[in-house]
Amino acid sequence: MKGILSTAISLTWLFALSSAGQADTAAGQAAFEANDCVSCHYTEGPAREKTIEDQLAKTGPELWYAGDKFNQDWLVPWLADPQPIRPMKFNSLTEENSGDHPALGADDATSVADYLMTLTSGAVESGTVKVKKNAKGRQIFTKKMPCSGCHQYRGRKGETLGGRSGPSLTDAGLRLNPDWILAYLKQPETFKPVKMMPVFVGLLSDKDMANVASYVGNFKPKK
Amino acid sequence: MKKVLTLAFAAGLASQTAAPPVHAAETETVFRFYCAQCHGLTGKGDGPNVTKDFPVSPRNFTDATEMSKLTDADLRNVILDGGPAVSKSPMMPPWGKTLSDEEVDGLVGYLREVCACQGG
Repeated sequence: MKGILSTAISLTWLFALSSAGQADTAAGQAAFEANDCVSCHYTEGPAREKTIEDQLAKTGPELWYAGDKFNQDWLVPWLADPQPIRPMKFNSLTEENSGDHPALGADDATSVADYLMTLTSGAVESGTVKVKKNAKGRQIFTKKMPCSGCHQYRGRKGETLGGRSGPSLTDAGLRLNPDWILAYLKQPETFKPVKMMPVFVGLLSDKDMANVASYVGNFKPKK
Repeated sequence: MKKVLTLAFAAGLASQTAAPPVHAAETETVFRFYCAQCHGLTGKGDGPNVTKDFPVSPRNFTDATEMSKLTDADLRNVILDGGPAVSKSPMMPPWGKTLSDEEVDGLVGYLREVCACQGG
C-alpha cells in the first residue's frame, strides 16, 4: 500500500512538473511569435535549405536546433540585450552588422529562452566534448585549417584576431554548447546543408574535430 | 557605303555589349557565396575577411600576369585541396568536400573570365 501511495505521489509530482514545463514552453513560444521573431528565424526542422538561393533568402539564422546550440545562461541575457555576433550583416559581405537585433523584455527573454532550449535536433550527443586549452585544437584552428580566416577570436594579448565573414567566436564558449560544435563539424548536412563554411568531413578526423570543439568551447573572457 | 560600314560596326559593338556572359549564372552565385568572403565580390582579393591582420593576401583574380602563371590544373588543385596543396597558405580552404566537380569546373572557367587570361 505504501509503495502504491508513494508511486502515486511521485507520478503526481512528475505530472505537475511536466505541466509546468509545457506551460513555460507555450508562453515562450507565444512570446517568440508575438515579438515577430518568426519573421527572420524558422523553428521547425529538419533543415529546409537545398540551394545557395535558399540560404541567401533567409534574413536570420535558423533556430530549430537552438537548444542544441546555445547555452541557456548566455541566451537569456543576450535576448534582453542583444550584441552583434556576426561582424557582417547576416548573409552580406558588404554591409556591417548594424546591431539592430530587437531586444526582448526580461520576462520574454526568459520564457523565449526556455522555449528555444526545447528545440533540438536529436543529433547531438551530450557530454562528449570536454572544453580545455586544447593545443591540438588550437593548432588546427589557427594554423592547419583556415578557421581563423572567417571567424574572429581573442588572441593571447586579448586582441581581436581573425576574419569577418563568419560569426565571431570571441567568447564562444559562453554562447555555444561544445557538443553541438562537434556535431556541427561532423554532420554539417544535418544543421546547415548549404553554408559559406567549407565541409571538413573527410579532411579532419572525428578526434581532431573534437579537439577543435574543445578549443573553441574554451573561448571565454579572461578572469 | 562608309555610312553603312559605320552602322555595321556600331551594330557589331552593340551586339558585343549585349552578349551574355560565358559562365552560367550558377557559377557566379557559387563564386559570390564561397570565394568572395576572401577574394571579394569582383575577385580583386579584397573580401571582408581581409583586414590588416589577415596573414596573407588572397589572390587578385583580375591580375592577368599572376593568373596566367597558373594552369587550369593548378586552379583546380588549389580549389579542391586548399593552399597547402600548391605550397600556399592554409588560409585558402580545401573545398573538395563542399563543391561538386561541376561547380569546380565552373569556377576554373569563371576565373579565366575574370583574369581575361589563359593558363600558363
